[in-house]
Amino acid sequence: MKKYVLLLLLLSFSVTGLAGGVYQEPDAFVTEAFAGHPPKAAVIWPSSELKAQMKQILGHDYKGLRIRYWKEGNRTAWILDEIGKDKPITTGFITNQGKIETVRVLIFRESRGWEVRHAFFTDQFDNVALTNMNRLDRNIDNITGATLSVRAVTKLARVALLLDEAVGEKNNT
Amino acid sequence: MTGRSAQKHTVFLWHRRAGLTAIVFVIVLAITGIALNHTDALKLDERYIDSAFLLGWYGLEPEGEAISYDVGEHVITVLDHQVFFNTYPVTTTTQAFHGAVGTAQLIVLAFDTELLLLTADGELVERMPTGQGFSEIQRIGIKYQRPVIETAGPRYYMADEHMLDWDVIINEDIAWAQQITLDQTKMAVMLESFRGRGLTLERVMLDLHSGRIFGAYGIYLMDAAAVALLWLSFSGLWVWWQRQLKQKRKHHYQKHHRG
Repeated sequence: MKKYVLLLLLLSFSVTGLAGGVYQEPDAFVTEAFAGHPPKAAVIWPSSELKAQMKQILGHDYKGLRIRYWKEGNRTAWILDEIGKDKPITTGFITNQGKIETVRVLIFRESRGWEVRHAFFTDQFDNVALTNMNRLDRNIDNITGATLSVRAVTKLARVALLLDEAVGEKNNT
Repeated sequence: MTGRSAQKHTVFLWHRRAGLTAIVFVIVLAITGIALNHTDALKLDERYIDSAFLLGWYGLEPEGEAISYDVGEHVITVLDHQVFFNTYPVTTTTQAFHGAVGTAQLIVLAFDTELLLLTADGELVERMPTGQGFSEIQRIGIKYQRPVIETAGPRYYMADEHMLDWDVIINEDIAWAQQITLDQTKMAVMLESFRGRGLTLERVMLDLHSGRIFGAYGIYLMDAAAVALLWLSFSGLWVWWQRQLKQKRKHHYQKHHRG
């Protein structure tokens, strides 16, 4: 019995040890998103109105005055950070005409909640769009034990769509 | 020894043991209690602790040395993972600091694999991970008013004015950022900013009195001291009462049975 308990403990430690880390470098994500030929980076300086909307979604001010993005045609890549419990989760998004095309957790620094990196979670965002209330038009299922990470990635998805809308408006004007 | 005297002896023995054990804590409780009763008169809430040991105990003493760089009219300092614009805390970092330069539009701070961009007023513009393109930044400099970084290799990259694109350049005419040492006055202001409002004597007295200064189990230590104090009161009363009885019996014997 003691052996099994020891084995379980060892397994749990090894799983925790493998959990966090850099899954994909941000610029590798951007390069892959544009089939090896990423466009030049551009930046958006969010207006006060946009900042207020982002604050409403995140529950705090977005840290930074400008946000970098890569745009080609209707497709835009975003690399955004949000804290899950204690540390930022870096997530890459590709938005296309107001909908999410790809979500990928790039760097996970927390000790728990790393399950959000898996496709069974990120695939839920495929073709998700924003409602008039800046909410996602589809419910995203939670992962038991990873609630804070799920919340962080979901909030970032809403911010990415909001930014995509703002960039689209900027290009149209 | 009779049963009664054995019981008395045991109570007296434990009275003495409890007294000797609790003496330090009782002294601490008494002194801090009196001091806290006169917080206003003693101005405990206005006196700040400058003992490095106590500040370290409370986690208010920074670890490591301050690394500062002059960026024109301002100074950028990293002290124990905290990034300061002059003495104003801007953000935190977990990476080693390799320097800062001021360009025409932005102040650029270089870390291992990240650049931080600040406005001339110290507002955070962007955190810029360097990713695979270039990592392991060694130092930062300036050329034609544009930031240049040296990476392991070494290779040299110069950014455009908006910090959106980088070109590989040769190591020529680059003014590398030079680390400076803050004078004592500026360092004192920096430490004050790092510690926030600091640690008051009142806080230390309160934590000593409650035992919280010794950590999560400190309150149980003080609880034990309080229980020992209660035991001393009751056992002292009991010993005194027993002595009174003995005295009475002695007087009674002397009165009725002598000669």
